[in-house]
Amino acid sequence: MCRRYPDYEWATFAHFGWRHTPSELVLTLARLAPSRPGELDDDVGHVAIREPYTLRVALDAEQHPLAIGVIHSHPRHCPPAPSTTDDDMDGYYSKYFAGFAPDRPYVSLILSELDDGTALSGRVWWRGVWNHLTHVAVERSRVNAWPGDRLKAPGAEERHQRLAAAFGDEATSRLRRSTVAVIGAGGTGSAAIETLVRAGVGRLVIVDPDHLERSNLERVHGSTPADAAQKTPKTAIAKRHVATIDPACHVDSFVGALPHPAVVDAVVTADVMIGCTDQQHSRLALSDIARRYLVPAIDCGVVLEGKNGSVTAQVIQCVRFLPDDPCPLCRQMIVPEQLAQELMDPADRAQRQAAAADAVRRGYEGAAYWRDLPQLNTVGYLTTMAGAMAAGYAIGWITGRFTPPFSRLQMNLLAPFFDVTNLEQSAEEDCACRRARGWADQGAVDALISAPSHWQTVRQS
Amino acid sequence: MSHERISRELGLLREGGQIAEYHADGRPVVVYCDVPTGGTRFGLPEVTDVLVPVPPGYPAALIDLAGLPVGSPFLPLVKGGGNNQGVLTVNGRTWQLASYHPHNGGGGAPWNQNRHGFHTYLDHLIAWLNRLG
Repeated sequence: MCRRYPDYEWATFAHFGWRHTPSELVLTLARLAPSRPGELDDDVGHVAIREPYTLRVALDAEQHPLAIGVIHSHPRHCPPAPSTTDDDMDGYYSKYFAGFAPDRPYVSLILSELDDGTALSGRVWWRGVWNHLTHVAVERSRVNAWPGDRLKAPGAEERHQRLAAAFGDEATSRLRRSTVAVIGAGGTGSAAIETLVRAGVGRLVIVDPDHLERSNLERVHGSTPADAAQKTPKTAIAKRHVATIDPACHVDSFVGALPHPAVVDAVVTADVMIGCTDQQHSRLALSDIARRYLVPAIDCGVVLEGKNGSVTAQVIQCVRFLPDDPCPLCRQMIVPEQLAQELMDPADRAQRQAAAADAVRRGYEGAAYWRDLPQLNTVGYLTTMAGAMAAGYAIGWITGRFTPPFSRLQMNLLAPFFDVTNLEQSAEEDCACRRARGWADQGAVDALISAPSHWQTVRQS
Repeated sequence: MSHERISRELGLLREGGQIAEYHADGRPVVVYCDVPTGGTRFGLPEVTDVLVPVPPGYPAALIDLAGLPVGSPFLPLVKGGGNNQGVLTVNGRTWQLASYHPHNGGGGAPWNQNRHGFHTYLDHLIAWLNRLG
């Protein structure tokens, strides 16, 4: 893109996945379709795309379901505001490509190096209307949406000055502009939420299907005995707790689970996701969204083990899901039978449990129908540690200041030097997780999981 | 529900000459039409329709069970046919699910969503309908 920098422009066509949520059009860069020698005019300073390049990309659209777009650079220090030439180009291409790829967005992005970093402007022709880019998330890179992010950048508030001193004022601005989706608002999730809101994250998407039980009081930050008595949704507790810490933090909460479509609509607008459930379907969905919608995720969990009256292990696990990372299937984190039981509709579950009991009565194995799974032991200080760690790595990603130095971290607080391990695992070559990276909804055929039809989701705000 | 994936798998079946239909009204199911049987040995039809529920969360959850029309003469003869796993009505036709679990300890390979699907489940159905008695 910047091969003729700093003085001249360059361009490439690109393919994008997308998801049209009730409030936004979310686009994901699936792949570039770079020019071949001679397809761009090298003799002029501005971008001049020759017809064979355009025709090649247009004809190729019949081979895939993705949106077509063009990305071009402006010379260094030249703001990425569209010129009249850019207006002409976009007007022409939006109609031209519609002839080859009807009912798909046309995307135009302009990239520029400015004094304070890389800036990106954009517009999307979609269903007869031009939409302007309002937010951009580039994995592990600091790229601003232009002009939106620049105009809104506030200085660090007094409460965030220690964080600003460590990471810089820009980091606090990034956190304020960012959205983090936290899947699970129990012990681990509530700790992550508290850490994130205190750090100044501007918006949280909080998802949990459960209501507070008395046994949760030991772990869930912000919960009260009254919540247990009233069986308050965990998301409502989290939302209330966030408001007491930072009323300016916006919360969208859902009593539900991934991958319910309404939850996915909200989660794909996040810069980072944190998985804080012990549900296998949630992990699978988290990795699926990371891959198809390019939202990086950290999944964390804890387990406490004991023997003969002693606690023998206190394990924290954090798993990184970047779009190209192996999925939980490849990482052998999924037990198919357990997953099927989690997803079963209540009537089916009852029938299976009855069939298993009947089989056992008749002297047969009941496991083909139903297996009772042991509940993992956990404790509040462990979940708080894991949640805070995951939130820390989310902050690192958002600010661009650091990244998780692991793929799958496991540590045991009771072992010498915590017995820290990093399980580097490879993806299976034929796994669906090797395909459709950045394809968003258009990669649905390679989705690892879908929402059961019996699921209902309630949005609280 | 993963309509896209199921459509692809039914397309693969169609290419191989097997018709199967996806029904999403009510509990989602796939109905395989005219699946070959070993019924002639018993004086029964050479083919029968078979219903298979789409598991919630598919393809994450494994395909399980198989259903025959209520009153089908195959029900007493197929594996698990005497163990009623529920009755479904699809488009006015009533089906009885049999206790058949090829991917869950029932003789087939453990479920692998990258290798298995409704297109490969046909093999299990044919085997099921040929092992009568």
